[in-house]
Amino acid sequence: MNLERLPNEEKLILCRKYYLGGFAFLPFLWLVNVVWFFREAFVKPAYTEQLQIKAYVKWSAVGLLFWVAVLTTWITIFQHFRAQWGEVGDSLSFTIPLGTP
Amino acid sequence: MANNAEDVENNFMQGQPESAAGPEPRQQQQQQQEGGTRLRTRGGSGVGRGEGGGPEQNGHPPAARPAVQEAEEDEDEEMTLKYGAKHVIMLFVPVTLCMAVVVATIKSVGFYTRKDGQRLIYTPFPEDTDTVGQRAVNSILNATIMITVIIVMTLVLVLLYKYRCYKVIHGWLFLSSLFLLFFFSYIYLQEVFKTYNVAMDYFTVVIVIWNFGVVGMMCIHWKGPLRLQQAYLIMISALMALVFIKYLPEWTAWLILAVISVYDLLAVLCPKGPLRILVETAQERNEPIFPALIYSSTMVWLVNMADTGGPRRESAEETQEAAAPEPAESPPPLSSPQDDGGFTPSWVSQQEHQLGQLQSTEETRRQIQQMPSARPPAEEDEEERGVKLGLGDFIFYSMLVGKAAASGDWNTTLACFVAILIGLCLTLLLLAIFKKALPALPISIFFGLVFYFATDNLVRPFMDKLALHQFYI
Repeated sequence: MNLERLPNEEKLILCRKYYLGGFAFLPFLWLVNVVWFFREAFVKPAYTEQLQIKAYVKWSAVGLLFWVAVLTTWITIFQHFRAQWGEVGDSLSFTIPLGTP
Repeated sequence: MANNAEDVENNFMQGQPESAAGPEPRQQQQQQQEGGTRLRTRGGSGVGRGEGGGPEQNGHPPAARPAVQEAEEDEDEEMTLKYGAKHVIMLFVPVTLCMAVVVATIKSVGFYTRKDGQRLIYTPFPEDTDTVGQRAVNSILNATIMITVIIVMTLVLVLLYKYRCYKVIHGWLFLSSLFLLFFFSYIYLQEVFKTYNVAMDYFTVVIVIWNFGVVGMMCIHWKGPLRLQQAYLIMISALMALVFIKYLPEWTAWLILAVISVYDLLAVLCPKGPLRILVETAQERNEPIFPALIYSSTMVWLVNMADTGGPRRESAEETQEAAAPEPAESPPPLSSPQDDGGFTPSWVSQQEHQLGQLQSTEETRRQIQQMPSARPPAEEDEEERGVKLGLGDFIFYSMLVGKAAASGDWNTTLACFVAILIGLCLTLLLLAIFKKALPALPISIFFGLVFYFATDNLVRPFMDKLALHQFYI
């Protein structure tokens, strides 16, 4: 899909849908939103809908950063303390590495 | 697995009257178009030639339009010859990427080469038999079953299409891609983590798979950035190829590759072939079929000035194919460009004829089609024309190279890789010459098989001996 060929209203609708969709635990969707609409929002010369698209891109970025922070924290905690948690750690684990922790 | 009936997409130029005069007068100020993306057909050539200028015309300066007929014929030949380089590259890259992913996985993750004794229900006969003869018989039976399944699925698809059960087809495709995107990538991720001995918790994995899957479904079935869509298609083709490599026994796999190439050839080119029927039906109805498993390198944009004045998007939507349980059918075809009208009346009639064909053409997974482009004369429209290749082709190419990699030798792997690319080149060349949908499997797979067995049995021992004796040539 080429954004160039879309009329501005449709761009806005698409951006909004991607933004709203990200709330369903989909930070990747927010990432795609940010990357895809970045040029539209910040680089292109202004047009009517651009303000709203900018807002959506910004808030998608905020959401993305939030998720990145949460995931990084959780992964760090898990990797560090997994061995110490014993049984709980094992039940949380999707894959358990071989060898001594 | 099953290559379903796929529509043979007749090049929209087929049957088009030689209204060469039509496009000529239209001197459109178009953007320079790269030579490689020129249309190959007459009318299209006319269109293509209408814009763009000298530099693309083999270095001839952008002179005033010469006499229509001669110019067209000359340029037609130029077109035919010029077409290809860019498109070939546009297809090389994804095919190479897919193969690279498969080879990398095979070489690093042991899961896909380990025979766990599991088989698909489509290949019930085991290959670890006592005698070679028994093994041969079993593999032939397995291959027969597979091909029968594929043929049946193809016919079912054609029937569904003929009787307008679109919802069923859409649902089928949707479920298939869902399964592929979620389940197989889950397994893949698990195996990769096991290989690299990494601990991972359920929470993260669920989030990752959920994101991957949902965004994948959106990109493939709905709207998404083109690059991401292409990336997803490559990934799912690779996943599917890996499944095949794991679950098909040795001899069965090779036999299936050979037989499927033959089937592809027959289905696409024979008048009674299911794919052909599908295409013709689509053409009669003048409609795009359904989101299909086609990889498209770019999108074509058609602008309709007649009614809406706004551009209508036409996207080659690729959907994912069926998951393993129902062995893959690759339902076919892709939604062709919508029929937008043209601008001036002469343009309109010309374009509509072209576009009419365009719209009804389908692509099957195994066909390469060049997408025609419609150029709006009045606009500086970048026409993006792409070449399309069905996902089934990706899958079987990658499967061949993956099996070569699994057997261990890099010589063999590279030889098969080169063979497939050569086959792809030749197929594109034929496409340029014949200007209609062609099966992409036969030539490449044939070369691939020849190279595999030749390299494995002739070159490898030779190289090994040389290395043993430290004799460098």
